[in-house]
Amino acid sequence: MSENGISLWIRALKYVLQRDKDSISLLKQTASFLNIELLVLDHDSKVLWGDAEKEYSYSVDLVCDRLRLGVVKCSNASGSFLVDLIKTLLTKEFEKKRIGKEVLSLYREINMIYGLSEMISEKIDTASIAEIALQESSQIIGSTHGLFLMYDPDEDEVTKLASFGDNPNSERNIKDQNEVLKSLILKGNAAIVPENRIKDNLSIQHLKAVMYAPLKVKHRTLGMVILGHKEKKEFTAAELKLLTTIALQTAAAIESAHLYQKGLKEARDREEAIRVIHEVTQKFVPSEFIKSLGKAKITEISLGDLTEREVTVVFADIREFTTISEGLSPKDNFLFVNGFNNRMGPIVRKNEGFIMQYLGDGFMALFPKGPQSALNASVEMHKVLHEYNKERVLKKRLPVKIGVGMQNGNLIMGITGDSNRLDAAIISDTVNTAARIEGLSKHYGTSILLTKECKDKLTNQQAFNFRFLGPVQVKGKQKSIDLYECINGDDDSLFDHKLQTMSTFNDAMSYYFNKEFAMAAVAFQEIFKLNTMDQTSKLFLNKSAHLITQEIEDNWKGIELMNTK
Amino acid sequence: MSKKILIVDDEPHIRMLIEQTLEDLEDDGVVLLFAENGEQALSIIEKEKPSLVFLDVMMPKLNGMEVCYKVKKELKLTDIYIILLTAKGQEVDRQKGLDMGADRYMTKPFDPDEMLSIAEEIIKL
Repeated sequence: MSENGISLWIRALKYVLQRDKDSISLLKQTASFLNIELLVLDHDSKVLWGDAEKEYSYSVDLVCDRLRLGVVKCSNASGSFLVDLIKTLLTKEFEKKRIGKEVLSLYREINMIYGLSEMISEKIDTASIAEIALQESSQIIGSTHGLFLMYDPDEDEVTKLASFGDNPNSERNIKDQNEVLKSLILKGNAAIVPENRIKDNLSIQHLKAVMYAPLKVKHRTLGMVILGHKEKKEFTAAELKLLTTIALQTAAAIESAHLYQKGLKEARDREEAIRVIHEVTQKFVPSEFIKSLGKAKITEISLGDLTEREVTVVFADIREFTTISEGLSPKDNFLFVNGFNNRMGPIVRKNEGFIMQYLGDGFMALFPKGPQSALNASVEMHKVLHEYNKERVLKKRLPVKIGVGMQNGNLIMGITGDSNRLDAAIISDTVNTAARIEGLSKHYGTSILLTKECKDKLTNQQAFNFRFLGPVQVKGKQKSIDLYECINGDDDSLFDHKLQTMSTFNDAMSYYFNKEFAMAAVAFQEIFKLNTMDQTSKLFLNKSAHLITQEIEDNWKGIELMNTK
Repeated sequence: MSKKILIVDDEPHIRMLIEQTLEDLEDDGVVLLFAENGEQALSIIEKEKPSLVFLDVMMPKLNGMEVCYKVKKELKLTDIYIILLTAKGQEVDRQKGLDMGADRYMTKPFDPDEMLSIAEEIIKL
């Protein structure tokens, strides 16, 4: 019987003799009926009942369960009956207390397991679950060492997830004993390791007691929990049962954590796939377009969504594309166009515009920030092409030139199509006008053409140089549009020429619109002779020369008709 | 006068568990009293004036909340420290219990060590 057993007996004895009213009353009545004086001393000779000063003739040891709990003294021998009565009451109380202790200890276990499952259910990483399981196990099962092992069937390897207690060769032991541990795990049994087996095993020799329990989920075993003690001690069957219960709880938590991680990974993969799709679709429909519609993602748009806003529309077109493409195979043609678009796209985006549509030998771009950024982009596109052409010429290829036309105005952006086929569309007069102006740049032989409306809305006009080219009229429209050429996109020599002849050109234009065609022709001739690449001067020279011989109406205003797109 | 702790629960094994848990206090002269329903609890409280009551909430006749209300609000025995015991998952009652005048809450299954240390602390006051 342990110390604990004695203290339980003593406690029961004190209760019966000092606190339990029924027992006290029964003893008192019986003693008085038998006319006996009674003295009870505990094993330290402390008085539990009666008066120690009195004389007692009869003395007997109070022995229960072979434990001497104290002495009972009586005034005569019939007191032995009282001793039996005390023993009966005491045994009953002891039993009650013993059961109570057991119940309380079971209750502690339940409480611990309850707490454990609550703690591990909050964890989603297996290492934390293993840590908690070991920590809680060691708290309720006296142990100095613990090891939490997992078996990975893919790698066919047993690895440590958590441990406590000093073991300098832990890693090496697990490696050396991997086959043994694996077979123990796969057997899926719980056991207390016999003492002789501990002595024989080098890797657990530092311990005096060892037991283990499997981490079982349904019919699989995920791993095992091992507890050990370095002092001499025997693990009990109850402790093994408790460890098994903890292991079961933990295994379930680890399995859910695995499933959670798997689910998380799948969700991440799905998200990544969606992100990639989103990224690709964004390239087909510009994200700026979607944002303009007040939507965050392409998935949010629907047929009929629309918005009206002021933007600058830019058309850019490769000059003499037919000539360039004639010498190329269809595939090389495609590569050429892609190469061109690859150079232009970044410039548009850099200037806060976006490409609305590719048109084979050119594209349409929108600049929500207005003409300043549109013109900056247009000039830069030309400059990039000038550099690119230097390479092309070296490779004996035809230089690439573009014409750019732009107009500013309101347009409606929206989603059109039908329920099965959607497309981003813009509907506006501004687009038609911009396209026609780009067409005119061919006619005038200019690199960049813009309307007065665009020019007036520039935030920094001084950054550019313009030549006024007169009014044009779109077919079917009453109002004419004043047109300007921006010369900053021209190559250096042409730009210098146009800049130097600017005042002559302006004079020539004045003559022209004043119907002084001979004067105009002389001036334009002068300019053209200086640089024959100045196609605009050549055009006006020809016009002036032609008009000299013509009958001019009074209301002639020199308006150019835009018929072609 | 010795200090008294009243344990009120309709389930005998819970009473036994709490008795076992608080047994050590008996060595210090603390008297443990028991009641198995609300009515019994109320009459013991009035008669014995315990310092501390562990009071189960779910009980037949008079439940723990009602006992608590009568003790604290009607009898104005505000010095008696009342700890309500409630099953896990019924924590929603917590505020109601505190409104009824309870001093503290413990959920079942309770941690025996925690219960003992709380009782020791309160008895010392």
